[in-house]
Amino acid sequence: MSRNQDSSHDLSRRRFLQLGAGAGTAALLTSTGLQGQTVNTRAHVVIIGAGAGGMAVANRLSDRLRGGRITVVEAREVHHYQPGWTLVASGVWSPDKTTRPNSQFMPPNVDWIRSSAAAFDPDNRTVDLANGDRLSYDYLVVATGIQLNYEQIEGMSADLVGQHGIGSVYASLEGATRTRDVIDQWIATGGGQGIFTHAPTPVKCAGAPLKMTFTTLSRLEASGKRDSFDVDFFAPGGGLFSQPWVNDFVKQRFDEQGVQRHHFHTLTAISPQDQQATFTQQDGSSITRDYDFIHVVPPMSAPDAVRNSDLIAKEGKFTGNWLDVDIYTLQHNRYPEVFGIGDVIGAPLNKTAASVKAQAPIVTENLLAAMQGKPLPRKHNGYTSCPLITSIGKAMLVEFGYDLEFLPSFPFIDPKEESWVTWTFKDKMLQPAYYAVLEGQA
Amino acid sequence: MTIASILTIVQYALAPYLWLIVLAAVVLLGAQLIARLGGYRYLRHKSAVANGLALVAGLSGLAWIPAFTHSQLAYVATTFDWVVMIAAIIGVAIFALLVFHPLSYLLRARH
Ligand SMILES: Cc1cc2nc3c(=O)[nH]c(=O)nc-3n(C[C@H](O)[C@H](O)[C@H](O)COP(=O)(O)OP(=O)(O)OC[C@H]3O[C@@H](n4cnc5c(N)ncnc54)[C@H](O)[C@@H]3O)c2cc1C
Repeated sequence: MSRNQDSSHDLSRRRFLQLGAGAGTAALLTSTGLQGQTVNTRAHVVIIGAGAGGMAVANRLSDRLRGGRITVVEAREVHHYQPGWTLVASGVWSPDKTTRPNSQFMPPNVDWIRSSAAAFDPDNRTVDLANGDRLSYDYLVVATGIQLNYEQIEGMSADLVGQHGIGSVYASLEGATRTRDVIDQWIATGGGQGIFTHAPTPVKCAGAPLKMTFTTLSRLEASGKRDSFDVDFFAPGGGLFSQPWVNDFVKQRFDEQGVQRHHFHTLTAISPQDQQATFTQQDGSSITRDYDFIHVVPPMSAPDAVRNSDLIAKEGKFTGNWLDVDIYTLQHNRYPEVFGIGDVIGAPLNKTAASVKAQAPIVTENLLAAMQGKPLPRKHNGYTSCPLITSIGKAMLVEFGYDLEFLPSFPFIDPKEESWVTWTFKDKMLQPAYYAVLEGQA
Repeated sequence: MTIASILTIVQYALAPYLWLIVLAAVVLLGAQLIARLGGYRYLRHKSAVANGLALVAGLSGLAWIPAFTHSQLAYVATTFDWVVMIAAIIGVAIFALLVFHPLSYLLRARH
C-alpha cells in the first residue's frame, strides 16, 4: 500500500508542518546556497533502499525537485527502528515498539518499487532488480545498509539466534527478541559462562556489542547472583571503541565490573550443539571456550549486489567491502552521478542513524548541485553518535567526528558523564528524532 | 533545527501518551471549572492540605519519574540530571496544586 492510498491524515499533517515551518522559520533561518530552493529538472533519480538513509533522502529530494522523477527500490513493507533493538534485547522495550509501515514515511510523489537491486551497471547507468526489471537512472543514491555475514563464522547462521545459548542483537527484530529470551533463560539458570564478542569488520552501531554487555551485566546484578556468572569479552583488536576516551572508559569499566577482556581474539567458529566458541588469535593459533550464553557480532559488509559491482571500493582499506565514496562529499569516487549514504559507505566511522541524520542534507544538497553542474557545496565531518548505555537506566551521549574529537550537540550534557537524562533521550526521544529524520524534517 | 523538526519530534514523542495528556487536562480543567462555577478563586482560598498534597505528589516523582523512564533514582547523577528532575517535580507539584486546591474548596463548601 502506498502512502497515497492509506495516509491522507498523515499527509495533511506533514503539509501543515511544512506550512508552519515556512511561516515560522522564515525569519529564523538564513538560507545559504541551495538550501531550501527547488530545482527544476527532468532527471530520473533512483534511490536503492529505504531504510534511514534512503527514506530521508527520498523525502528531502521530493520536496526539492520539480519536474524530475524519483524511484525508490525497497522490498520491505515494514520500517525497523534498529536502534531500539538493543532495548528489545535487554528486555526494556517490547518488540512492537520498533516497527512502522514504510508507507507512513514514503513521500507520495515517488515511485516505490517493491523489489531489491540485484546488480548495478554504473557504466550504463542501470540497475537490475530482483523482479527482473532493469531501471535506468540519471542519478543514483545507494542506501542499502549493511549485510550481516554470519556464515563467515564457521557453524554459525542467523537461524541459530535464540537457540543453544546464542544471542545476536543485530540479526533482526526477531533475533533481538530471541536474544532477550536466551539471556532470560541464562539468568534463570543462576550461573554460568557468558561470552560477548565484537567483529573484525566495521559494524553498524559499534557501541551495540558494548551496550549488550553492559545491559546484561545490569541484569545479572539485578538477579542478585552476579558472582555466579563469569562474563568474558573477546575483541578482534586492541581496542573496544574508536573514540579514544570512550575506549579507555569502557576498558576500565569492564575491569571494574569483573569482565575478563581478551584482545586480538576473533570469533571464527561456533559449535552450537556443544556450546563452544573458537577464537583465532593474532598469531593464527586458536582457542576454544565453553559458553552458556554467547553474544555473536557477525562480520559485516555492503550487500552482495553492491559488493559484486563496480561501485565497490577498488583500493584502500574499504576494498571489496564498502561503497567507494568521498567520505566528505559522499559522492562516488569514480561515478559522479552516484552518491552513497548510511551504513553502506566506506568511511572510517559513521555506521549509525545519527550519521544518517548528518549525511542526508549533505547528500541532498550535493546531489542537487551536481544536477545543476555546480561545485558540491557541503562536506560531512564524520559526525556519529552513540548513546552508550552503561547500565539499564544510564548512558553517555558520545558524539564525535572523523577526527575523533567530541562534537557535543548540547552544551549542558557532558559526553564523559553517565547520565539519567541521556538514557531518557535514548528511551523516549531518539525514536521520535529518527522518524523526523525519515520525514526529512531533522 | 527548524520549528517543523521540533514539532515533528514532539509530536512523535507525545503520541504514545496522548491519552494521559488528555486525561490530565480533563481532570485539571474539570476541577478548576466546577470550583470556579461555585465561586472558587485561587488567591481567596487557603488550604494547607492541598498544599501538602501537592508537595507530596511532587516529591513522589522521585520514585516514579525514574521508573517511568526505565531507570532508577540512583542514576540521577549529573547537575543537568538534577535540574531536569527538579523541574519535573515542580511541574508535577504545580499540576497537583491546581487540581487539589479547587477540590479542597469544593469539599469545604460541601461541609
Ligand atoms: C542493534 C542495533 C543498534 C543500533 N543502535 C544505534 C544507536 O543507538 N544510534 C544510532 O544512531 N544508530 C544505531 N544503529 C544503527 C542504525 O540503525 C543504522 O546505522 C541505520 O539504520 C543506517 O541506515 P541505512 O539507511 O544505511 O541502513 P538501513 O536503515 O539498514 O536500511 C537499509 C535498507 O536498504 C534495503 N536494502 C538492502 N539491500 C537492498 C537492495 N539490494 N535493494 C534494495 N533495497 C535494499 C533494506 O531492506 C533496508 O530497508 C543500530 C543498529 C542496530 C542493528
